[in-house]
Amino acid sequence: MNTHLKHALPAWVWFTGLMLVFVILYAPIQSALVFSFSADRFPSLDITRFSTKWYAQVFADARVLEALKNSLTIALSTALVATTLGFAAPYADFRFRFFGQRMVLALALLPPTVPIVVLSLAMLAFFSRVGLSGTVGAIIVAHVVVATPFAMAICRLRLEQLPQEYETAAQNLGATPGQALRLIVLPHAAPAIGAAALITFAVSLDEYAIAWFVGGLEQTVPVTVLNTLQGQVDPTIHVIGTLAFAATLSLVFAAQLLLLRSTKSHKNKEVSP
Amino acid sequence: MSVLSAKLGLRRRGWFALWAAPLPVWFALFFLGPMLLLIAMSFWSVQNYRLTPDFSLSAWTYVLSLDFLWSTFWRSYGLSLLSAVLVSLLAFPASYAMAFLISPARRLTFLGLALAPFFTSYLVRIYSLQVFLGEGGVLPQLFHSVGLSGASLLNSYTALFLGHATLTLPVVLVLQTLALGNVDRTEMSAAVNLGARPLQVLRHIILPAARPGLTLGVLFAFLLSYAEFVSATYLGGGVFQTLPILLTDLIRGGQQWPRAAVVSLLMMAVLLLTSLVTVAWAYRQKGN
Amino acid sequence: MTQPLLELHNLNKSYGTFAAVKDIDLSVDAGEFLAIMGPSGCGKTTTLRMMAGLEEPTRGDIRLEGQQINDLPVWQRETPLVWQNLALFPYMTVRENVEFGLRMKKVPAPERQRRCAEWLDRLGIAGFADRNVAKLSGGQRQRVALARSLVLQPKVLLLDEPLSALDAHMSIRMQGELKRLQRELGITFVYVTHSHSEAFSLADRVVIMNAGRIEQLGTPQDIFLRPRSRFVAQFVGGISLFSGMLKTTKEGKIGIDSADGLLQIADPASAQSGTRCDLAVRADRINVTTQPGWGTNEVPCTLMSEEFAGAVVNLHLETAAGTGIVAQLQQRDLERLSARAGQQVYASWHPEDGVLLGAPALKAVA
Repeated sequence: MNTHLKHALPAWVWFTGLMLVFVILYAPIQSALVFSFSADRFPSLDITRFSTKWYAQVFADARVLEALKNSLTIALSTALVATTLGFAAPYADFRFRFFGQRMVLALALLPPTVPIVVLSLAMLAFFSRVGLSGTVGAIIVAHVVVATPFAMAICRLRLEQLPQEYETAAQNLGATPGQALRLIVLPHAAPAIGAAALITFAVSLDEYAIAWFVGGLEQTVPVTVLNTLQGQVDPTIHVIGTLAFAATLSLVFAAQLLLLRSTKSHKNKEVSP
Repeated sequence: MSVLSAKLGLRRRGWFALWAAPLPVWFALFFLGPMLLLIAMSFWSVQNYRLTPDFSLSAWTYVLSLDFLWSTFWRSYGLSLLSAVLVSLLAFPASYAMAFLISPARRLTFLGLALAPFFTSYLVRIYSLQVFLGEGGVLPQLFHSVGLSGASLLNSYTALFLGHATLTLPVVLVLQTLALGNVDRTEMSAAVNLGARPLQVLRHIILPAARPGLTLGVLFAFLLSYAEFVSATYLGGGVFQTLPILLTDLIRGGQQWPRAAVVSLLMMAVLLLTSLVTVAWAYRQKGN
Repeated sequence: MTQPLLELHNLNKSYGTFAAVKDIDLSVDAGEFLAIMGPSGCGKTTTLRMMAGLEEPTRGDIRLEGQQINDLPVWQRETPLVWQNLALFPYMTVRENVEFGLRMKKVPAPERQRRCAEWLDRLGIAGFADRNVAKLSGGQRQRVALARSLVLQPKVLLLDEPLSALDAHMSIRMQGELKRLQRELGITFVYVTHSHSEAFSLADRVVIMNAGRIEQLGTPQDIFLRPRSRFVAQFVGGISLFSGMLKTTKEGKIGIDSADGLLQIADPASAQSGTRCDLAVRADRINVTTQPGWGTNEVPCTLMSEEFAGAVVNLHLETAAGTGIVAQLQQRDLERLSARAGQQVYASWHPEDGVLLGAPALKAVA
């Protein structure tokens, strides 16, 4: 900020606010990590001994492992489908002019505005009618609806940075639409597609409400956590939490790195010699 | 022209449809379908414990005549609005720091760190808060050691608010920081040049210019808090019966889906109305 | 008679109710350098894009060597385009950019490499072959764009304001190179620009477009000396316009009865007496004096302002009737004139320097 612009309050006030917010955001995450290594059954400030016994217990728990398998299957399939849809739609929007174009975009951005409980009820009712309630497939289908808007937003932002002429220029030089897409658009969009896959994977891995309502007996990891929340203090939840944090945070940070690096290289390219 | 052109048209259209069709088809089937079913279901009836397609207003009249529905409705609305405003106030100094006191290169890193928790296990974070605030938890222990009451902080609005903040802070921080970061620095310099003091710059230049983003922050915090049921259940405890809790009970309870559908539609209507009014206000401009 | 290389017949393009291009008829000969010029939004780029197949005509035909190519998809046409922003592929090196089209046409590797090397060499960019295109200067990028299109050995090269991204100095250098290349290769160039200097110095023939139509088509001299309409005269610039009724005096002189008096013309023209006409006089044909009595057509005016343009000066004058006149003088003539702004001067010209613009009713059918 320029020197002639002074702040209404001294800098330390604003920075204290910044610290406070990060404490609120990260303290619960950190506490899960610390308590996951505490040997005590009840989490408290004076930890008597550290151990990895809760980790051993989690990995020996068939129920958790089954949930983990479900979660990974669902998250992988969701990431695959949601990223495909989330790239195809903005690409069509970027490449073609057609009737109802804005409506498609609006439709795709609608799900995040619907309260997750309401969406869960709608999904539960729908899948019960078609006889798919309680299946892993139903969770995947619903998770795709929840995750696609994220993939779409990421891909759209990236595609907007590509001047339309590049693809047409390739066709003008003899490339078919398929070749132009493969040789010009995909290399440009690759970081966004990667980031979209990571984020949609994280979103699905973390989603509990729909999985809880629609999944029936097919439990995912967040649903087992939700069930534990309702019961007694259970130290294994810290282990699951720590692993979940590690997984989703690395996914999200990897996605952010991908996007950050691509925008940086994009900016370098814009610099005129 | 005719044959060649027709073939070509078909190929072009096929290529176009390959990209344009998947998302609308998927969303029509698996998003609009369920949502329309929800509307239809609110008119169905339950006969002999079985859900039966029908055109009946019984679920609507039943739900709308419940006194506790209305009290729950207003409590939900008020609590989430309060949380939204408080979270925005809590986030503002941090957003200001990120927008004005940190270099643009570092700002992206901070924003990334602020946003990341949004995508990570909300449930475990709520569980951690339960442990922090509950009897013998970290915070009561701390309070006790400085001579205050060491009672559990759970089942209070403070606990509920912290739950809401856990959920909504990332989004609010990002929206606020982007809004403040986009305030035109030249306008601020111009104000200083015309004799504005720092507080006046904040009040007359920064806040009005960032208003749309700041308002959207409040709106998103409200939407997320209003629809949330985990904090309300496990941190607010039985003290705060909210609409989403009522809804989950109705759904898990089994056969009263038409009533659950009515409650859902009411929630949606309220959210839609609130969003429209807020967005209109956020983007309202002075003069014509 | 030889067949034109590229022909447009009754070409139209509409977007909804907006007609971007209206009834264009144009034929371009082999080896010709044609410039299409006009203000922004006149339809010149849309016309070029239709030639390249980037836009589908709403109505009309495009023929290359007599073959109708309307329905040929972009990638099967051989009409490479040099883009306004160049559209060099950012993820490829210079060599990969230049080889791109050959790769798409599945030209075998040895020939591809030979042709690429030849063109890199020819345009003086062989030294940058393995550089990232982002790391080149404006002029070098320009050459890559040209090489990328020319390596395909097209019969016609389309250029869409290709020099607009360059600074003035570089632009003039590239103009010279473009002209030399076009001469040497004998390829047809269709060149869209909004710059007069580019169009007039490069092209064999110039098309002036306005509001989707062709306003005038002719050699640069033609357009410069004999603008056919008020629009062309104003667009070309440096022209003073007078309007009035065509009249033949008792002495047999022909002229325009304007607000500034009778302005004689030499050419009897095709228009009849009593028609409303516009008279155009080029700035460099107007003589400015401080005393009356120097020429046939003499109009008293007030000197409004002087505008220096290098060796010459444009004087802006205004007559008593409010008509604006532009006169172009050499620097030394101005010194001799020694007139100040606000002073009364006299503008005069020979009757043969007045060009009668086509009366709307009698617009010549070329």
